[in-house]
Amino acid sequence: MASIWTVHLHASSSFPLRNCSNELQLRPEFGLDCSNCTFWSRKVKSGKFVVRAVSSDDERRLQNDAIVTQNSEKINAEKNRQLNPVAKLQESISTLPSFVFSTGKFKFGGNLTIGLCIVATILVVVVRGYAARKSRYSRPGSVADLVRRGQLRSDRRGISTPLKYEDPFNNPMVKVSQSNSTVEMCGKVYRLAPVTLTDEQQSVHQRRRSRAYQWKRPTIFLKEGESIPPDVDPDTVRWIPANHPFATTSSDIDEDLAQNNVYQKHGVPFRIQAEHEALQKKLEALQIDQKLNKLVIDPAAARDFERPLKSNMKSESQVEHRPTSDHVNNSFGNKPQSEETQNP
Amino acid sequence: MISLHPKPLPFHFFPKQPKPKTLTLRVQSLLQYNRKPQLAGDTPRVVVITSGKGGVGKTTTTANIGLSLARLGFSVVAIDADVGLRNLDLLLGLENRVNYTVVEVLNGDCRLDQALVRDKRWSNFELLCISKPRSKLPLGFGGKALIWLVDALKNREEGKPDFILIDCPAGIDAGFITAITPANEAVLVTTPDITSLRDADRVTGLLECDGIRDIKMIVNRVRTDMIKGEDMMSVLDVQEMLGLPLLGVIPDDPEVIRSTNRGYPLVLNKPPALAGLAFEQAAWRLVEQDSMKAVMMEEEPKKRGFFSFFGG
Repeated sequence: MASIWTVHLHASSSFPLRNCSNELQLRPEFGLDCSNCTFWSRKVKSGKFVVRAVSSDDERRLQNDAIVTQNSEKINAEKNRQLNPVAKLQESISTLPSFVFSTGKFKFGGNLTIGLCIVATILVVVVRGYAARKSRYSRPGSVADLVRRGQLRSDRRGISTPLKYEDPFNNPMVKVSQSNSTVEMCGKVYRLAPVTLTDEQQSVHQRRRSRAYQWKRPTIFLKEGESIPPDVDPDTVRWIPANHPFATTSSDIDEDLAQNNVYQKHGVPFRIQAEHEALQKKLEALQIDQKLNKLVIDPAAARDFERPLKSNMKSESQVEHRPTSDHVNNSFGNKPQSEETQNP
Repeated sequence: MISLHPKPLPFHFFPKQPKPKTLTLRVQSLLQYNRKPQLAGDTPRVVVITSGKGGVGKTTTTANIGLSLARLGFSVVAIDADVGLRNLDLLLGLENRVNYTVVEVLNGDCRLDQALVRDKRWSNFELLCISKPRSKLPLGFGGKALIWLVDALKNREEGKPDFILIDCPAGIDAGFITAITPANEAVLVTTPDITSLRDADRVTGLLECDGIRDIKMIVNRVRTDMIKGEDMMSVLDVQEMLGLPLLGVIPDDPEVIRSTNRGYPLVLNKPPALAGLAFEQAAWRLVEQDSMKAVMMEEEPKKRGFFSFFGG
């Protein structure tokens, strides 16, 4: 496929100059003879110039695709070039080498282009998928994001991933040598020595200890100063100092009750139930007395229904000694009864 | 730190599953590589972890062995029997989840199952605290209360636990007597220093007087470099003095302090620390009622291969 371009440009229309030399370049392959020279020279004299770009099938010609003729008035051309951006564009186009593709000739190149396109498409798809997956984990506000920002500890999250079990004697971190004389643990090699303790030696030690430490398990704890009950072996008494910081010898919980509490599998715990029942009874008593309009729970009255604990018995006696002002403020923080009755 | 196993360990791709004793749903750990230790003895095995001296690592041992057992697939209840100075919840990172204790159970404020704190990392591990700090447990039936607790745990609906570990307070006071009451076996934790050994010997004597015959010891904070320089008693020296079978030897490891501060027991570390591996091995022996046959003595320079010159 052949193509010939001829470009005529006039000096008045802002000619882009490629070759700044003042000499006129004439090339014999364009077939210009002397008569043309005169013509050209005349044209030059008249201050006009012509640019002819020729392209043909000849590849050698294609490489030298333009002939630039230039007037000697360089200053004017420079000025024009600065003024007109279109001229700049034209210049850049003219600097580009002209390529002529013959589709019949370049089959391999075409396949290569298609292959490159496919590879690029696949690459784009993969990269987009990877970016989407990555952005999923770094979603702001997600749990993973919280872990990343240090707000949440990954190891203390609700359900951690189960660890794969490794035999502590047979894993990559622990290697016993074939001769059983050394072991390598966590990269350090240790010498091994066999344990020589025999059963006989163990029993010797046990006898020694049984002679050295005569001890009976204490079955009763008494404060210093208390008397020993008659049916108790004095050896099994454990004397507790009166100011023992953490322990008390006297239990304020009924033993059977405590045992039942431990064995309870279902239902409401005993104390919660007792308190609930106490409130319920109080309500029923109020309903009977038709005092529902003035629903006030008196802690002194509710105390009667609480569980029978020694501590409560003590506190009960203490409460009784208090002035009756406690009765005025009830547990719900309501106003005193007297005030309510005064209000219309 | 390691015992040579009496019999070679077969490598199983498909681990042996123990025969289910009950039809209850139990969370099993994923045993993907190797075999599972065979549980010896009657369940629940009530193990008290004690020492005489304070600060030798009872609570650390309880936390790490407890979670190791849970990882091995056994159901574990750890009881912090230190009445005044409980710390097991901190080591396990469960301090914010302890709402009820045994004292509330005894008072009837809650049921026993409400006081058990289930670890979310390993749901077959539960924590039970005896009391809140500064609260008082009546000594009159402190020991009895623990026996009731063990009975109640045996008879609970979701099945009895395989292990009940009791973290004992220091000393041989009333707290110690309370803690050892329901125990069938004991783990004595000691360090290789003379003060700890004297207390350990006395405590062993008391345990034996109380009828607990199955006593094994864990020697904690062993430094092989000091043993080599003869500045520290070796594990075999300790064993000679106490005459107790060895359950484990735990090397001194700064990772222990880190894990304590984090509330994340050492045995869950990835990659495992040296002390964590030793705790895992001790837990394995506890399950099989085994003891150490060989102990690590000193560190040897690692043999370098032909390509070590090139960094290989």
